[in-house]
Amino acid sequence: MSKFRKEGRGGGPALNTASLPDIVFMLLFFFMVATTSKETDPTVEVESPEGTKTTDLTPYKQRSEIDFLYLGAPRNPNRAKAFKMGYALSLDNVVQATPDGLYSTNAVGRWKLDKFAQKPSRMTAPLEAVITCFKADRNAPTGLIFDIRQQLQDIEALTIAYAVRDKGNI
Amino acid sequence: MAKREIPEINAGSMADIAFLLLLFFLVTTTMDKDQAYIRNIPKKIDVPLDDIKIQERDILAIRANNQNQLMVRGQVFSDPTKISEFVLKFYQTNEKINDVENNFPMYSTTTIALCDQNMSNLDRQIEEAEAVGNQKLTDFFLSSYDEWNKKKNAIKLYGKSEIRELSVQAHIRIEVQEATAYSIFTQIHNEIEEAIFELRDDECMRLFNENYGILKRRYAQDNDPKDKAKIDLLEILYPARIIEVKPKN
Repeated sequence: MSKFRKEGRGGGPALNTASLPDIVFMLLFFFMVATTSKETDPTVEVESPEGTKTTDLTPYKQRSEIDFLYLGAPRNPNRAKAFKMGYALSLDNVVQATPDGLYSTNAVGRWKLDKFAQKPSRMTAPLEAVITCFKADRNAPTGLIFDIRQQLQDIEALTIAYAVRDKGNI
Repeated sequence: MAKREIPEINAGSMADIAFLLLLFFLVTTTMDKDQAYIRNIPKKIDVPLDDIKIQERDILAIRANNQNQLMVRGQVFSDPTKISEFVLKFYQTNEKINDVENNFPMYSTTTIALCDQNMSNLDRQIEEAEAVGNQKLTDFFLSSYDEWNKKKNAIKLYGKSEIRELSVQAHIRIEVQEATAYSIFTQIHNEIEEAIFELRDDECMRLFNENYGILKRRYAQDNDPKDKAKIDLLEILYPARIIEVKPKN
């Protein structure tokens, strides 16, 4: 028969957790450095297609030389009916009104010029070098992209980018 | 005054605070990067140019219709991954020897002497334009002077006295219709990009014994002029001239 252990006196010395905050802080700093802030959810549904051999846009983002344009179906299906082919454009989270309004008033051109005027002074790129990046849904009609391109050509904002989800580069 | 003993601060909750911060950053940030194909829109021209004859052999037309079917040079198919083969063929067919019989773009030979001749011609034209005070014309001549200079440096780097160059009019043309899906459109870009990357990568391996992707990434980080010269040479050997045609209604 084994002896019963004495109660109370047992247990090792208290575990020293003084370095736990240090460890957690280290993790915290890793994530602060390795990640970028999430963009706000656009008001349209965007599921990007996949692609390879793409260009990384991070350096342009750091120099704020890029503006994003979202093209997808509105999240509210009832509203979708109002738009050309059921797809709408989201500029800074404002879903553009009817396509007629969009095309006649040159909304994209005005939006782009506005954005350019608000750029920080450290950005030196001219308007034609500031990228306009299309983030379009995989099923979005390409015709809309060419309509927008036309407006960008009119104001001479000549650099564009077609966003895809990267499948991995070599 | 008697020294008072400072009571020890309990740092037990420090870890909790740090965890809270960590979780906040985990939730609000993302690891994935923005990736895209960067393209240029051609400048608008006031006076429409007509009567530009481009030979059929210089055009690689990639078409996609409303039903997302593909057609390259009259051949209809549905698997987009085949496009890169067409692009490779477009570049490689006449690369070594020109053959008038086939329907692919010709290559021409550019020598250092030709570059020098063009540069001295442009020198004169720049002076003339400056004398008249035509700023636009001066800028135009200056930019083409830079181009010839770049070409000359590229030939020097190539290690021979001449270089085989793709016909200046040869281009890839993407023609889509209004309702072509964006995924098909980007896939076409993807295939073109892959084919051109492959061509440049092979040549980069042969000439400099390194990977084109690594070369480009290193240039993006270090901005080394030597790397720039290498990239310039590869871009002159395999130029990516892509035209996107606005769909007709």
